[in-house]
Amino acid sequence: MLMRSELNEVWLIDQWLAGRLCEEEARVFKARLLLDETLAEKVEAQRTAHRMVRRYARWEARNRLDSIYRLLLTETDFAHQLKTIFT
Amino acid sequence: MAKETEDPIVSLYRDSFPDFARMIRRMGGNPEEAKDAFHDALLIYMEKEKAGKLSLYSSPKAYLLGTAKICWLHARGMGSSLALPEGFEAAEQDDTDTEEREKSLMESLVRSGKKCMELLKAFYYDHCSMQDIAVRFGFNGRRSAAVQKYKCLEKVREEIKSTHAYAQ
Repeated sequence: MLMRSELNEVWLIDQWLAGRLCEEEARVFKARLLLDETLAEKVEAQRTAHRMVRRYARWEARNRLDSIYRLLLTETDFAHQLKTIFT
Repeated sequence: MAKETEDPIVSLYRDSFPDFARMIRRMGGNPEEAKDAFHDALLIYMEKEKAGKLSLYSSPKAYLLGTAKICWLHARGMGSSLALPEGFEAAEQDDTDTEEREKSLMESLVRSGKKCMELLKAFYYDHCSMQDIAVRFGFNGRRSAAVQKYKCLEKVREEIKSTHAYAQ
């Protein structure tokens, strides 16, 4: 894919984080990481970015599950079952 | 009761939660704990399904009840010998400072670029195709969607680098 070089680097870091580089590419990348502190920083920040995306997605999914719970509580049968279980 | 077009998660919830709540009641738990553990298990179920990694040996309901029980035991500090499905560290998060820092970082990223977070979520979490992403976000085809995805990842990454919260 043709992109500006900074974006190619984002792509390359993604491949590294996902373990998708072949043995030779991974060896070269690992060597660059040892020599280039800026690259190492980018890798750690990109790893955090992925964790933040997952956190955001889970937060949204939990909100959706809370709305489903509230919706089901408006159904008489469901609400009655829960009430009898915990009383 | 369930309509044909109903969200399958709603049907699964309606069908499974009362049984799980009964199980938790018998084991001495309360309604809030039952709901929290059940939501953790549903999240695990949905994530595995989206990633095409859901191996069901019986029914979705049985999977859900088993996973929710493990989540509940973990929340009570009794599940150390039972492994939660891979990649679900959130249920085991017990470092309050780290948790607060990460939460605040996420909120700041959403405030400054919700569209990018949505796009990255669609690709990395929901496993949507580039074609679907292009349509949903109004890009001119798969290629520009892919370029935009990397631009967003770069933007989020640079913001993380410059955030005090990340600087430990």
